[in-house]
Amino acid sequence: MNSMPIDTKVRIDIRKLSFYYGANKALKGVSLPLYDRKVTAFIGPSGCGKSTLLRVMNRIYELYPNQRAEGQVLLDGEDILTSKQDLNLLRARIGMVFQKPTPFPMTIYDNIAYGIKLYERMRKSELDDRVEDALQRAALWNEVKDKLKESGLSLSGGQQQRLCIARTVATKPEVILLDEPCSALDPISTAKIEELIDELANEYTIVIVTHNMQQASRVSDYTAFMFLGELIEFGTTERLFTAPQNKRTEEYITGRFG
Amino acid sequence: MNRALYAKRRFINGIFLSLSVAAAGFGIVWLALILYSLVTQGMAGMSLKVFTEITPAQGSEGGLANAIVGSVIMSTLAVVVGTPIGIFGGTYLAEYARHSRTAVVVRFINDILLSAPSILIGLFIYQLLIMRLGFFPNLPRNFSALAGAAALMVIVIPVVVRTTENMLLLVPNTLREAAAALGTPRSHVIRTVTWRAARAGILTGVLLAVARISGETAPLLFTAFGNNFWSTDLNAPMASLPQVIFNFAMSPDDGLNRLAWAGALIITFAVLTLSILARVFESQREL
Repeated sequence: MNSMPIDTKVRIDIRKLSFYYGANKALKGVSLPLYDRKVTAFIGPSGCGKSTLLRVMNRIYELYPNQRAEGQVLLDGEDILTSKQDLNLLRARIGMVFQKPTPFPMTIYDNIAYGIKLYERMRKSELDDRVEDALQRAALWNEVKDKLKESGLSLSGGQQQRLCIARTVATKPEVILLDEPCSALDPISTAKIEELIDELANEYTIVIVTHNMQQASRVSDYTAFMFLGELIEFGTTERLFTAPQNKRTEEYITGRFG
Repeated sequence: MNRALYAKRRFINGIFLSLSVAAAGFGIVWLALILYSLVTQGMAGMSLKVFTEITPAQGSEGGLANAIVGSVIMSTLAVVVGTPIGIFGGTYLAEYARHSRTAVVVRFINDILLSAPSILIGLFIYQLLIMRLGFFPNLPRNFSALAGAAALMVIVIPVVVRTTENMLLLVPNTLREAAAALGTPRSHVIRTVTWRAARAGILTGVLLAVARISGETAPLLFTAFGNNFWSTDLNAPMASLPQVIFNFAMSPDDGLNRLAWAGALIITFAVLTLSILARVFESQREL
């Protein structure tokens, strides 16, 4: 791995992280830094462990039995993998948007207010502002402002995904994890979400898993290339895409395998 | 293309289709005959008196008012108490213990209870609540509406457990993940997201349980027993429609037979209404 200019502080430091699905080792000692208010993309062929790596950072894998992580994930210097870490508080700090849109079965307004009301008490008018603000940021406000009382399920796929991003942003997390957020969307919705990621990067540390290399090169500052559970190469997106140092990375980004 | 082969396939398809239609027709014919005799005989016995007067003695006139009210009271009690137990049980199986060995055991026992002969449940409640397992021999041992409701409740619970679990299992895990990823505590996810996503199905399960107990006779025979007088005392024997139908249908008295038919029609109509309601809720899955 090459030395690179470290112009910002490390928000999350992943150290020798291994992950197991039962006896199957899906991550093999992965170490990499995630920089504050930068977009980091994880790329690699299916099954390389990039989604798994993302799911360790908010410990969402713990919803399932027989999945465990070894190693360290330091968030602002504190290891979040210890049993002392409160899971709900961790997840309130590290938001996640999933591959498929997952609106809750409630109104558009309630979908956004849901996360806010978990950790904050406020007046109705203030809550209204927060909901509007989140929908504005997700570039959805103009499309839904007249139907906030309608079901979140009534929206199109692209709108639902922006609703989910708005829901995540509304709770003011510090880090946002995006797990292939555009894979179920059409090109126009994808473009809107990429613009949104650009905007959000001013305030949040963002990690995005993507199958789409053009997307990685468009939206990210840093890119990590993974293969078979190992981190093959990590660097600035510009450097990794123009001058990959590992042969596998080069083959993958030029489309020769994967 | 092999024409002979295709012709053979078509021929086999024809046979399959005819067998399926014949089987469906066989079932429908009997159902139609049952409904026809029920409606014609039931309407013959139907009058305003059925709803206003209590069950008569042999040879005199009367209605089914006490039995209707008894059925409503005992079924309501059974459902009101049994539903929360069933919903929490199903929630435990689907949300908390899904992958555990405890769940396998509980699910297995629940399935046994689900298909247990209802007369056994009646005998069980009789032993437990009326004979008190032989304890307190000096206290009076009488049949009661409470015991009847308890027996019906034992039938309600496994039905609700089963449907609640099944409906919760249909809720995609991605929805649970999305809620958990916001930092939502487990019980809050269940109350606000998964129950909500499954509520139409859970409600359908409750309505099915109501339909199931409204026709049960056996569990009431040794518990609520029956009562030819007007009574809403939960500690006293209470009449119910299925039990009155059972008694009156076997009577040599024509008047009582007609009342039995009328009672059967009322139950069928009530269950039909509930089933339609259940379907309506089922179709309104979204929000």
